[in-house]
Amino acid sequence: MSSHSRADLFGLVSHNLPRWLVISVVIVTLLLLVAHPLGWILWNSVHDDTTQKLSLVNYRRIFSSASLWVPIVNSLIVAFSVAFFSTLIGVPLAWLVSRTDMPGRGLVRAMTMTAFVTPSFIGALGWILLAAPRAGWLNVGWQNLTSSDWPLFDIYTMTGTIFVCSIYTVPYTFSLVASAFDEMAVELEDAATTLGAGKWRTMLTITIPLARPAFLVGFILSFIQGMTLFGVPAFLLTPSGTRVVTTQLAEFYQLFPPEIFLAAAYCMPLLVVTGGLFWVRRRLLGRRQFVTIGGKSLRTRRIELGARARWVGFVFAMIVPVTAVFLPFAALILVSLSKAWGMGPSLDNFTLDWYRWALWENGETQRAMINSLVYAGLAATLGMILGTVVAFISERKLFSGAAILGALATMPIIIPGIVLSVGFFSAYTRPPFGFYGTSMLVIIAFVATFLPIAYSQATTTIKGISADLERAARSVGAGEIRAFLSITAPLMRTGLISGWLLVFIPIMRELSVVIFLVSPQTNVMTTLIYNYKDGGNYEAVAATSVVLLAGTLVIVLLARLFVGQGSRRTRKIQTMEENS
Amino acid sequence: MSKITRRSLLSSGAAVGVASALGIRPVLAQHDPLYEAAREEGEVNLYWGSYEQKTIDELIAAFTAKYPGINVNLLRQASQTVYTRLRLELQNDAVQCDSLGTTNALHYRELKAIDALQPYKPTESAIIPEAFRTLDEDDMYHVGAISLICINRAADVKGPQSWAEMVGGDFAGEISCGSPAHSGDVAHWTVAMLAKFGDDFLRDFAAQNPKIGQSSVDSVTDILAGERTVGASAPYSYTLTQKAAGNPIDITIPSDEAVLNLGITGIPAKAPHPNAGQLFNQFLYSPEASAVLVANNWPTLRSDVPWAGDLSLDQISWYRNPSEGLDEAMKEAIDKWKNIVG
Repeated sequence: MSSHSRADLFGLVSHNLPRWLVISVVIVTLLLLVAHPLGWILWNSVHDDTTQKLSLVNYRRIFSSASLWVPIVNSLIVAFSVAFFSTLIGVPLAWLVSRTDMPGRGLVRAMTMTAFVTPSFIGALGWILLAAPRAGWLNVGWQNLTSSDWPLFDIYTMTGTIFVCSIYTVPYTFSLVASAFDEMAVELEDAATTLGAGKWRTMLTITIPLARPAFLVGFILSFIQGMTLFGVPAFLLTPSGTRVVTTQLAEFYQLFPPEIFLAAAYCMPLLVVTGGLFWVRRRLLGRRQFVTIGGKSLRTRRIELGARARWVGFVFAMIVPVTAVFLPFAALILVSLSKAWGMGPSLDNFTLDWYRWALWENGETQRAMINSLVYAGLAATLGMILGTVVAFISERKLFSGAAILGALATMPIIIPGIVLSVGFFSAYTRPPFGFYGTSMLVIIAFVATFLPIAYSQATTTIKGISADLERAARSVGAGEIRAFLSITAPLMRTGLISGWLLVFIPIMRELSVVIFLVSPQTNVMTTLIYNYKDGGNYEAVAATSVVLLAGTLVIVLLARLFVGQGSRRTRKIQTMEENS
Repeated sequence: MSKITRRSLLSSGAAVGVASALGIRPVLAQHDPLYEAAREEGEVNLYWGSYEQKTIDELIAAFTAKYPGINVNLLRQASQTVYTRLRLELQNDAVQCDSLGTTNALHYRELKAIDALQPYKPTESAIIPEAFRTLDEDDMYHVGAISLICINRAADVKGPQSWAEMVGGDFAGEISCGSPAHSGDVAHWTVAMLAKFGDDFLRDFAAQNPKIGQSSVDSVTDILAGERTVGASAPYSYTLTQKAAGNPIDITIPSDEAVLNLGITGIPAKAPHPNAGQLFNQFLYSPEASAVLVANNWPTLRSDVPWAGDLSLDQISWYRNPSEGLDEAMKEAIDKWKNIVG
């Protein structure tokens, strides 16, 4: 080989080596994090619970038993309804907060984030206190006011379940879409205005279509939430005997002997449903361009709604804060301040003991709170890093078949937590890992479970950034990784922090994925609260729920502050550039 | 590790007081070879579904006060959840559990069948009520808790005086109950009702339009909330604890027998700290543990320590499902419940 061709080869290798090193690390990580536990779930699904031997009996049983299809149909009804209402409310809400002069935007944003950080099963407990048909406080108030014999609400219905699931899922859509609106540059809107379009036409033909990737991701995530939530249907649908997938799965585990392998097989149809949703998303978005961040100015402009519309918008925007935060937490706080909650609110019954117990006396609550915050923080950070790199590889098609990585990163989200929990147990308890009982196992489970959200958010953000900027950097000599780190990643900053919150918050809310993974030392707040509820200790449940909400909110507000400062710094730099 | 709180110290103090009053002399821990072996192990991992959080916390505090030097790690989840956890540990050869305590006897029969339990003879077994002294002829498992299922009612309501009266029609729309598919106590209650009254009981029960929750304690929650006035299937200890806290609720011991379900405990064969596990299980029969149980309205496991309110087993008319054929009876009860009640 001549020295010239050797130098060419060296140049080729050194040019591509970093790329392939990163890709290899990502592939191995995804295989370990996702394919490995999912493989165990698939393996379990083809075993007989009775004989423990290889068998297709679980699939035969599922396909031949109509009673096992009923929960799937019920779940699909809940999931589509939740996705529909979350989009119907979340998209206009995001637009009102991000792009208009509606009053109270900061309040609405903060309260919607508060709804987001509330585990939905805690919200369901609040709504049981408010809208149980006979004793719910709203119903009692209504009956006293109207002398009616009939309750105004019955929370123990499919409608009640969809309502509670929806109000705690709206923040997903809201966060994704608001983030897209916040990031959007005004050039295209300006162009439409220059060509004579009014502000409403500009919104309908430019602003909203540009945010379509965020709508779709919001719809899909809401759908998946509706499919995989356990606490809300467990509390609200059990009295009517209505089963959904997650309550049916819980029953498989509750029975003696538990039907763990049947539960694994029962999840497989869900993978098909989710796969279909992401395929539809790809078909709808795949060939279109949604670049909203080019190399030019970044400044959004607010639409003036007019005096009356501003307040109509405000009333609409308060639906989620009132129903998901003010009302249920008012009920929970009243319970948490009661010596005995069955006595009702009164001065004689007032106490702060449950908070003293939760914050100072009960070591378990303190440890679980610290665990929850540390695990969620670490898992959200690791998940966002991995999700962003996968999204970049997949979106910029760094190698043929890169889309498979994206598909792999998306898969865990549809598997209900309790089944994933068994998958992680099987995958990481055996040698060579032996992570059982460690914090590592809990963090791994959180990263893998919420990787799809990190990946989706990163994909949405990358779709909005023109590859031209990276090409410009490459053309002046920057390597691929340097171009990503110095150009793309900084432009993604706000989107990534929003994404971090979108992962951090669901981890703080997550109830079932770690149910078989936590040890007494690694317990987290949601499992602790659920156990208190299972033991019937409502005052403790209410007080620890309020503590969980407060702890999560502190982190979220700090992160928002961080985003706010970042945005202000960006605007300042732009203003300086414009002035110069 | 369980933290010693003011409440736990008070419990321990109360334990000593009650024990002294009863003239019961605790065995000195320092001279116990089992304690020495357990202290060398240094910690114990409890997987318990029996006893609610407060009671098990206080039991642990009393244990730690009596046996310093042993860290207690508690995983308190629903009985079936901790059992499923142990099964997963067994399947993956990663057993961490040193003491299992659940409300379903079938768990222990299955574990015994696969040689997953280790035998031990509690040193104070003679003090256990005679009916529960020998649950297993090979001493693989023992009684860990006594759960008595009575009728719960709102304090201002007379309520039914018997199970038969409960489903007689006067309490339609007033009854709340857990689900046998989710709760061991409710499953035992359902098996008992079917054994005593036949399938008609479930049909009559369904005709009362009961509100069905999951856990056995959900019926107490419904009564406290005002959603229903009569509860079936909740442990009486839990109801009395709520009553003692000031909540407007009470119990009626049914004239046609309360249903007694035992919490069982055993030590996995591969437990990492078997001596500490055994020490904790034996501690449940101690005067100190009895004092905690009395303070929390649980039946004691000693025949010489009366329950709260000076009750004892021989003052109550009770029924316990026979262990023979319990496996099939439970499955049948759950199937019938699904078909008839929903």
